[in-house]
Amino acid sequence: MAEVEYRKVTKRYPNGVEALKEFDLLVADGEFVILVGPSGCGKSTALRMLAGLDKPTSGDILVGGEVVTRQGPGERDIAMVFQNYALYPHMSVYKNLAYGLRQRKTAKHEIDRRVQEIGGILGITELLDRKPAQLSGGQRQRVAMGRALVREPQAFLLDEPLSNLDAKLRGQVRAELKRIHQRLGITSIYVTHDQVEAMTLADRICVMNQGEVQQLGAPQDVYEHPANMFVAGFMGSPAMNLVPATVSGGQVVLGEHPLRPAPAGHPEVVVGIRPECLHITSTGAGIRATVDFHEPLGSHALVHCLVGQGTVGVVEHTAGSVVVQAGADISPRPGDRLTLGVDPKDVYLFDADTGEALGEAERERVIVSGVEKAQ
Amino acid sequence: MRRPSPWHLVLIPITFILLVPFFWMLITSLETEAETRRFPPVLWPASPQWHNYVTALNAAPFARFMVNSAVVAIVVVVANLVLCSLAGYAFARLRFLGNGALFAVLMATLMVPFQVTMIPEFLIVKWTGTNIWSQLGIDHLGALIVPNMATAFGIFLLRQFFLTIPVELEEAARIDGTSRLGVLFKIVLPLSMPALATLAALTFLDSWNSFLWPLIVINTESHMTLPLGLTTFQGSHDTNWNLLMAGNVFSLLPMLLVFFAAQRYFVRSVAATGLKG
Amino acid sequence: MATATPTAERAAPARRAGLLRRLSRSEHAVGWAFATPATVLIGVFGLLPILWSLLLSFQKSDLLTPETPWVGLANYRQIPGDPTFRLAIEHTIVYTVLFVPLTMAVGLLIAVALNRKVRGITIYRTAAYVTMAVSTINEAIIFMWLFEPSFGIVNAALHAVGLPQGQWLSSPDQALYVIVAMTVWGWTGFAVVIYLAALQGVPQELQEAAAIDGAKPVTIFRTITLPLLSPASLFLAVWLTINALQLFDEVYLSTRGGPLHATTVVVYYLFDQAFQQFNAGYAAALAYVLFMVILVITYIQFRVGNRFVHYNR
Repeated sequence: MAEVEYRKVTKRYPNGVEALKEFDLLVADGEFVILVGPSGCGKSTALRMLAGLDKPTSGDILVGGEVVTRQGPGERDIAMVFQNYALYPHMSVYKNLAYGLRQRKTAKHEIDRRVQEIGGILGITELLDRKPAQLSGGQRQRVAMGRALVREPQAFLLDEPLSNLDAKLRGQVRAELKRIHQRLGITSIYVTHDQVEAMTLADRICVMNQGEVQQLGAPQDVYEHPANMFVAGFMGSPAMNLVPATVSGGQVVLGEHPLRPAPAGHPEVVVGIRPECLHITSTGAGIRATVDFHEPLGSHALVHCLVGQGTVGVVEHTAGSVVVQAGADISPRPGDRLTLGVDPKDVYLFDADTGEALGEAERERVIVSGVEKAQ
Repeated sequence: MRRPSPWHLVLIPITFILLVPFFWMLITSLETEAETRRFPPVLWPASPQWHNYVTALNAAPFARFMVNSAVVAIVVVVANLVLCSLAGYAFARLRFLGNGALFAVLMATLMVPFQVTMIPEFLIVKWTGTNIWSQLGIDHLGALIVPNMATAFGIFLLRQFFLTIPVELEEAARIDGTSRLGVLFKIVLPLSMPALATLAALTFLDSWNSFLWPLIVINTESHMTLPLGLTTFQGSHDTNWNLLMAGNVFSLLPMLLVFFAAQRYFVRSVAATGLKG
Repeated sequence: MATATPTAERAAPARRAGLLRRLSRSEHAVGWAFATPATVLIGVFGLLPILWSLLLSFQKSDLLTPETPWVGLANYRQIPGDPTFRLAIEHTIVYTVLFVPLTMAVGLLIAVALNRKVRGITIYRTAAYVTMAVSTINEAIIFMWLFEPSFGIVNAALHAVGLPQGQWLSSPDQALYVIVAMTVWGWTGFAVVIYLAALQGVPQELQEAAAIDGAKPVTIFRTITLPLLSPASLFLAVWLTINALQLFDEVYLSTRGGPLHATTVVVYYLFDQAFQQFNAGYAAALAYVLFMVILVITYIQFRVGNRFVHYNR
């Protein structure tokens, strides 16, 4: 196992598209880092270059302190789990697992020992004689992981390994992946567009968009302190509400309700509030909203509302729509007027132009003072 | 019991008409020479003359022809499988300088009929025979083998098939430490058996039945392949129809056996070229 | 190879040990290494002859003497006034016009008959396919015997039903038709395989839908099945035409172009000029003319054919 480092890695395709721009990342030995972002954000390109399947246009990639940029994929001692598993269809499960070791001229009894060991860890021992076509989706996924793990590689690369599984299986395998990583502690770089996987599995996540790193940090940190609007909107499910708000009298106002003091020098701001932080109040003080539609989900419900910026004459200017996570017991009808309450510490502000987070320091203070008050 | 389908009344006559030439060949091959010279013809020999086959075999070195045909066909098939795999894989997966242009030029040769190239080919073979190695020259088996060891058709066929194999399989193998050659032989080719079987079947058929090129470059009986040998045999026994038919049966037999054994592949191969063409 | 040199130049002499490893890692080097053996063979025996043949068509060559004097367009000028070549063209056209539609019709009829589930269908199919395995030489010898004028079974059959008998391959008026017959038989297996595969690709529901619409079986075949077979028909038409224009083996074996040039077709004449009359330059010019004719005909077939072809995609 080893640490992995990207140094100012850029990938430019012949058609001029920059898939990755001066990408820097240091993955510590044994760390589990997840590259997350929408499709086309450069995360897969970064992974493929670490595997040696693509060559960077500039920059260097290091594994265990050694520059491997010019090495072929077979010389890097890394293993990869492909999205569609890429199991060799003409080989049995055993041969699939043994293949990489045989390429490295590992002794026969050693291959056998390791295949049996990994087979035991993954619970696929009884499948070893089967061909990939005879396996279920979940079994194939395990074999694909086994094939990578059995090599005991310097680093373990996973390219959307769960995306071909159904929702139920995905949850199981996710838990299992976490268990395996805790047990074996292999340096892992994992690519996904699913922020739930990113939140649950990673030691650190690297949120990417359009070839650039948006934020790098521990999942909870990124979740609680998104650096910009993109991260805020990407992390969390359902997604954070992002609504343009007005600044008047030193306050940020949404739906005729002052939310928190406005940061100086930013006349145009976007307010970010997570759906679970909004609640329907009866006190009368809060954000004025109109119900758009209602999605009951069993344990809770999502209420989609339109919030106004205020009324000018008779025309109501709609600032945008917000989603409220509410109890399952309410069933508002479209057109119903509601008042939404929110704690100032749950209100994020972003610059409308740059998307950068604003006033995080003030929000911190609110949180801290809130804690102090509670004590 | 189900009643037999009325279609048998159509299928049996069709089959009979298609097979009459074979039946008549077999019957004639067992007749005496006098029986072949009767009109109306004798429909069944008074006593089958099995020794006609012995006589025919003694009259011309059929075994030799067969060995020559087999050697040429087998070497040509194996060479095509190996060389077209290598080139087909390069054109399918490797980004090397000039691959597009080279591929286009190779494919262009597919359009040119053999008659255009045969005269210079004859001159080239004559030259290599005198200047490089006599075995590659006129009147040697090498002249039948070397020019046919790789075909643009084979490269095209395999390249198209290789393109359908998921590239992740090859990437996985390369991460596992396999060289390009290893990827081709351990991953790609085992998955390309249908295409390889098609190429093998078509190449074998082509080589075995080839006539014009052997006619041009082979003169000595001991270097002749079956079709050419049969032609010279026919030339010298053009009135001994019973012996001619015996020789014909004998020369047809190996290909028929191969055909029955591998009928699936032959049929699939021909059907595939038709559906894609 | 020329393309390997840029890599070689960049390598410093001191690091020569790593050169081989780096070369073997370069996709250019591997690509060329893989492609070279086949490319060299096809280059020497495919590409070079194409160019040489063009050169030869402007020269006088007897295949033996090394001197091949330049004669300009003389070989090409000689073609229009060559009476035997004109005959060869006529015979090739007649042969092609008969052979191609006949083979397609026979192949289609048999394929339709074979496209059903009855007991023993695989045996019937094998019997229809088997002519694929028969070489042109086997085929020609068998048919020479079937059509033998004095003792052949065809004349016997005609005699039995009271029809006049023929001289067949010995008759200048009939020989070409006998060659049509033998080659149609020889290509039947191929045509059946193509049509049967295409028939099996015609979705059953379309024919059922037409039947529900009230169409009779013959109408269904004409309006549904036949149009859906058109890609196979176009392929067969092109493929059989190319082969018909290159007819040689059967003619060489059974008639040597005779009697009285009655079966002299273009490729036989070309072979005769090159390897029996030793007019290789003239033969090369003929070959190029043939090549151009094949190109033009194939192009026309695709252009015209595409108007009638329905691709079921």
